[in-house]
Amino acid sequence: MDINVRKRSEVQVVQLRGPLRMGSAVDGLRQTMEEALGNGDIRMVLNLAEVSMIDSSAIGLLVRFLASTKQRGGNIKLVQPNKFAVQTLRLVGVLNLFEIFDNDDAAVESFA
Amino acid sequence: MSPMSPEFSSGPEDATLSELLDRSMPADAEAIGAVVDTISDTLTRLDVPEQKRFEVALAVQEALANAVVHGCGNDPSKQVRCQVKSAPNGRIVIIVTDPGPGFRPDQVADPMERDNLNADHGRGVFLIRQLMDEVHFERSGNEIRMWKY
Repeated sequence: MDINVRKRSEVQVVQLRGPLRMGSAVDGLRQTMEEALGNGDIRMVLNLAEVSMIDSSAIGLLVRFLASTKQRGGNIKLVQPNKFAVQTLRLVGVLNLFEIFDNDDAAVESFA
Repeated sequence: MSPMSPEFSSGPEDATLSELLDRSMPADAEAIGAVVDTISDTLTRLDVPEQKRFEVALAVQEALANAVVHGCGNDPSKQVRCQVKSAPNGRIVIIVTDPGPGFRPDQVADPMERDNLNADHGRGVFLIRQLMDEVHFERSGNEIRMWKY
């Protein structure tokens, strides 16, 4: 999985490409998010437009870091999850925990 | 629950099943993707609809992940077996087997319960049951058979 991180208006925008599943993909995202939190970056946007699949380990990671950021007054927001990612999130009952946007700009602006 | 419970019973039998795949992989998370992708490609060649392909692929991902982590303790010296079979009527069965001690599927916590919604693990079996039409655990839980109609 490719992970690209950039900062916009005090928001970490994380662009992901590939299947987000157990193994190096989830480990890489975990490391990215741990580093961000360690740096005090509690506002994150995950762009999932090019993520073909998310599995339960990825969902566990997202839910855990969502709780961590919210506890510190931040949030993790999702951009363009595909229909299968949405289905997966809905099936395990966590879709409504996340705010979802059509593009990075809208997600970043929502933190204002 | 005893081993004779419905959870451990065999699923529907079909003498006309054709074998599509029979593969063993090391119990390594990095080995799962190749098997899932191969199954997805096979189903594409069989003109299985996209939605059905996605649901099978994700269920296989979850079953293999459980086998690697819980069945084999992430020990790459151990092997996980994955078989895919199809019936003339289009039904597909996936069989994942690991050498572990098995488990009690009835003792898996419900991830939809309020206290578990924010948990960072424990959704794999539940997700498999949502995605596939029939799920049966055999051999004390170290073999899962998943049917997609």
